[in-house]
Amino acid sequence: MDIDTREIRFSAERLAEVYEIIGRYPEGRQKSALLPVLHIAQAEFDNWLSPEVMDYVADLLGIQPIEVYEVASFYTMFNLKPVGKYVLEVCRTGPCCLVGAEKLQSHLETKLGIKPGETTPDGMFTLKTVECLAACGFGPVMQVGATYYERLTPEKADELLEQFRKENKRATYC
Amino acid sequence: MATLFIDNAPYQVKEGKNLLEACLSLGFDLPYFCWHPAMGSVGACRQCAVKSFRDEEDTRGKLVMSCMEPVRDQARISIQDAEAVGFRAGIIEWLMTNHPHDCAVCDEGGSCHLQDMTVMTGHNYRRFRFNKRTYRNQDLGPFLNHEMNRCIHCYRCIRFYKDYAGGKDLDAMGAHNHVYFGRSEDGVLENEFSGNLAEVCPTGVFTDKSLKQHYTRKWDMTHAPSLCQGCAMGCNIIASERYGELRQISSRFNGEVNGYFICDRGRFGYEFVNSEDRIREIGVKGKPEIKDRDSLLRTAAARIREGSVLGIGSPRASLESNFALRKLVGEDNFYHGVADTEFDLVNLTLRILKEGTVRTPTLPEIESADAILILGEDLINTAPRMVLALRQAVRRGPGEALSARMNVPLWQDAAIRQAIQQDKAPLFSITPYPVRQDELATKSLYESPDDISRIGFAIAHAIDPDVTEIKRLSDEERMWTAHMAAVLLRAERPLIISGYGAGSEAVIKSAADVAWALKKSGKDVRLSLTVPECNSMGLAMMGGHRLESALDAVAHGHADTVIILENDLYRRAEKTLVDEFLQKSRHVILLDQVYHQTAEEADVIIPAGTFAEADGTLISGEGRAQRFYQVFVPDGPVQESWRWLQQLAEACGNRTLSHLRILDDFVLEIAKTCPQFEGIEHIAPPSDFRIGAQKIARQPHRYSGRTAKEAHIQVSERKPPSDEDSPLSFTMEGYHGIPPSAVVPFFWAPGWNSIQSINKYQIEVGGPLHDGDPGRRLIEPGDAHTPVFFAEQAAPFPIRPDCLYLIPQYAIFGTEEFSVHSPGIASRSPAAAITVARADADSWGLRDGDLLEFQFNGQEYKLAIQTNQQYPRGMGTLPIGLKGVPFMDLPGWIRLKPVERS
Amino acid sequence: MEKLENISLTGRKKVLEKKPMNFLERIYLPSIVQGLAITFKHLFKKKATIQYPEQRREFSVNFRGIHSLKRDEEGRERCTACGLCALSCPAEAITMIADERKPGEEHLYREEKYAAVYEINMLRCIFCGFCEEACPKQAIYLDGDIAPADVDRKNFIYGKDKLLEPLLK
Repeated sequence: MDIDTREIRFSAERLAEVYEIIGRYPEGRQKSALLPVLHIAQAEFDNWLSPEVMDYVADLLGIQPIEVYEVASFYTMFNLKPVGKYVLEVCRTGPCCLVGAEKLQSHLETKLGIKPGETTPDGMFTLKTVECLAACGFGPVMQVGATYYERLTPEKADELLEQFRKENKRATYC
Repeated sequence: MATLFIDNAPYQVKEGKNLLEACLSLGFDLPYFCWHPAMGSVGACRQCAVKSFRDEEDTRGKLVMSCMEPVRDQARISIQDAEAVGFRAGIIEWLMTNHPHDCAVCDEGGSCHLQDMTVMTGHNYRRFRFNKRTYRNQDLGPFLNHEMNRCIHCYRCIRFYKDYAGGKDLDAMGAHNHVYFGRSEDGVLENEFSGNLAEVCPTGVFTDKSLKQHYTRKWDMTHAPSLCQGCAMGCNIIASERYGELRQISSRFNGEVNGYFICDRGRFGYEFVNSEDRIREIGVKGKPEIKDRDSLLRTAAARIREGSVLGIGSPRASLESNFALRKLVGEDNFYHGVADTEFDLVNLTLRILKEGTVRTPTLPEIESADAILILGEDLINTAPRMVLALRQAVRRGPGEALSARMNVPLWQDAAIRQAIQQDKAPLFSITPYPVRQDELATKSLYESPDDISRIGFAIAHAIDPDVTEIKRLSDEERMWTAHMAAVLLRAERPLIISGYGAGSEAVIKSAADVAWALKKSGKDVRLSLTVPECNSMGLAMMGGHRLESALDAVAHGHADTVIILENDLYRRAEKTLVDEFLQKSRHVILLDQVYHQTAEEADVIIPAGTFAEADGTLISGEGRAQRFYQVFVPDGPVQESWRWLQQLAEACGNRTLSHLRILDDFVLEIAKTCPQFEGIEHIAPPSDFRIGAQKIARQPHRYSGRTAKEAHIQVSERKPPSDEDSPLSFTMEGYHGIPPSAVVPFFWAPGWNSIQSINKYQIEVGGPLHDGDPGRRLIEPGDAHTPVFFAEQAAPFPIRPDCLYLIPQYAIFGTEEFSVHSPGIASRSPAAAITVARADADSWGLRDGDLLEFQFNGQEYKLAIQTNQQYPRGMGTLPIGLKGVPFMDLPGWIRLKPVERS
Repeated sequence: MEKLENISLTGRKKVLEKKPMNFLERIYLPSIVQGLAITFKHLFKKKATIQYPEQRREFSVNFRGIHSLKRDEEGRERCTACGLCALSCPAEAITMIADERKPGEEHLYREEKYAAVYEINMLRCIFCGFCEEACPKQAIYLDGDIAPADVDRKNFIYGKDKLLEPLLK
């Protein structure tokens, strides 16, 4: 993680995007822009929100840091600890389980040697279980970054992992 | 009134309330957690479920949360319904799954709302066999202890701290089963009302850290109804003792004064009572053998008889003590132990309130003001509780409007709060420097005191042309005065606040003019003027001479023996003057509670009782007379000052006090001889008051260990002390029901051990106590229909080269003399530094932390400076009363010493 | 009509007549002999007393003697000074001062609070056992001996020095 050495600051381009979002809300209600800005921040700073990043966001929006922590800690989509380059979010809700999500999950666990919530030692993958991804017709579903991978089997999952290893690019929501 | 059927029995209840309030007001025991009478309902805990039926035929009904349902006429509900009972039992069982089994080590045990509610719903055995969720606790500073594992997630802490008190550093984090209430990191909870969390939290997540230092269960303490001595707000408190040590202060509900809450200075500033610096023994200089009461009285009396005596009263001593001193030395020799500026300000305040046309507000009146103007007052530091009230006031106007428009009752807290967003009723704050109330203000201006008064008079003039016009206003000032006057005229219940904070008579006068002008134009206006100390108002009402005259009297040899009542003169006048005064006086007799600089110089030191060891009456800034009662009888010669003075008078052969023996005698005598205090004899029941031939017990009926707790001193138990001054008894023997509101020693009702039992003491939940809220207002405005406006024409504030206009700055933690003896309060007192405008500092070539050398009244001083960009130029502030800050009779011009540049 | 003083409400009223003693009764000798016979008969029976304190009787299993403050299996004090024993004490003979366990004292006290002072006034104690019953931490038991006699009242104030179970080696 190179977060410690890097200065926490959006690029000019990102900053313009942030100000555009803030501009959508009336004066004094900048806090409304918190969620989209947090998403941008997470994508920008290694796919997780360190306290420093959250403080920076608070500063940008002119709100108290704790108001950012409050929101960021509420949503599971925000990672409050460092994660791997690919966060594998396996749906664990009923319909997916019926068509083999549990099998998929245990396959990934043995393959990667990690449990849900853990990251592989090479910093490549983080396994996470999530609630319904609203693609019940196409289960088992796994979300990686902004992409849904549907009707997965252990074999397909293996292929995906190979593909990710080859790409070696951080997958984020935006 | 509406008819509500509860379990098929009809009851008459008020419309507009919610079902929970209605049920509790009727005396039903219905469990709840998230609802709070002062904070309304959010329906978060699901604990107050009842069955609601459509009509008489409906037998199935449906479960509703009683706190979220308004009372409707002919509504039918059931508390006893099996499904409702089962639901409530289920909820508590579920809340308890993660609650630890640590009542035995928990500070809340015995006064815990969760314990009470668990017993009430009948959840006795746990079925949950799994591991409990655990959290890491935070260090929240010197006032509160944090133990998150006990949390039941009712959200009350956040709703109080963030929503009600405006705190910014406590929040709810996380979701579902791991919600965390805390700060972003360890650190001091910043809000000045954080201590209330210990009472608001229904269980032991937030507990009083000062109590932890000497922990005792609620049932094991002796309690007494008392008054906070921290400022002039007159907040009602309960003081609790065990083993001769004051152990806890909690708030005592008084709907007219402080409601459910008190500030942290009041709650944690009590430790001086147990301090090592207490004066507990008699001390006569050069005669260490004199240790007993009789020989002291003989010695002191001989000295008093020898010469001509003068007495110096105190704004922190009770009315009775000041009265006794005044009688002992004679009216002509009675001086006020307050700084001369303060003397003038308080006397002016009294005159305005008595002779003017506008009343001071009670707490509910402050909370219902619809436009507020604050002139020169840094309220969080001079009258803290008022800021909490103003916070509710600015939300109330928009809240009421939205409530009417959306047809949502005001107690629907989440809905109303969401709808209001940042909307505020108009509040204008014009102060010399940035202050806490700025965050409530629609407009804040920072001006020097002179300019504040100019703006004040200009607003008054804009409201009523009879007020003298102010010349030479700047365009911006003219615009704002016109705007503020227009807003105040649009309001129905405007409130004007000012006081001693800016140290300027003109500011107070301008506030009075604004209020009187509004009154003249038919507004239901209130005028609140702060005064510095708990009995400043009482002392001013009693009358007496300035301290300056006392110094003169001794300097010119008119008096040589001085009796100082509960006062440190070094905090009232400049050191050189006091030094000279004390040296010139042949005998200095001091009655006080804690050692201070004056005590070092005194010849005779007489140990006086603190508020916990004495009874007395105080007059708050509102003009309300209230009684405080002794909690315990201290060991040794410590007793009430008025009792000492009465005995001294007897010993001197002065017969003026010989017919007065107990507190009631003093109170009656004051009411009889001083017409301004008429009525104080009725503020509390007399000492011979009995309920069923019983006194009111100070100790709960579960008080333990009394045959053992003093066994190390004397094995055969001593006779318990008797209390001839009050209708309270010092033991558990006595009446344990609901006594008259002025003498409630603690709140307790069967099944309700926590402070939530206040419900049972109120006529209706959230309303006044049975028998009316305690205290009696003594100051009502005169009946003059047309006010005589002050006509003052201050010149615009001049910026003088090499000079600085220094005004006093008060600090909620630090300024007050006694509360700083609490280590927690001391740790939060500000740095002793002068704050000036950054531009000024730049012009002198000084930076933050540099020393500023200056002259004031012929004395040289050297203090560090801080800079602030928002300060007006030519003006500085000095936090006063702090350790290491010498007394200066501020405000005043200081002359700067030229800075030598290297 | 019966005379008023002869009416008995209970129906058990009996008027007693004091008979004069006869000769044998007057000389008392037969009664003395009878009495001595009983006395000598007891010489050959089992003794009703024991040589206390050299000899001791066996206590009943639910005998309540002097209190002891217990330690847990690791030798830590069990008492957390919650105050329930004092609360339940009908003689109000128990008092305590609670204190917070400091870091590094975990081997001394089982939980985060402990009784810095714990005193029972044995002059007042009625050995009812309510304290034992109230204790949620199984920290106090009345499993000791009979409270010894003393000539100084002060010695009946039992502090932790006397109450606390000694540490097992």
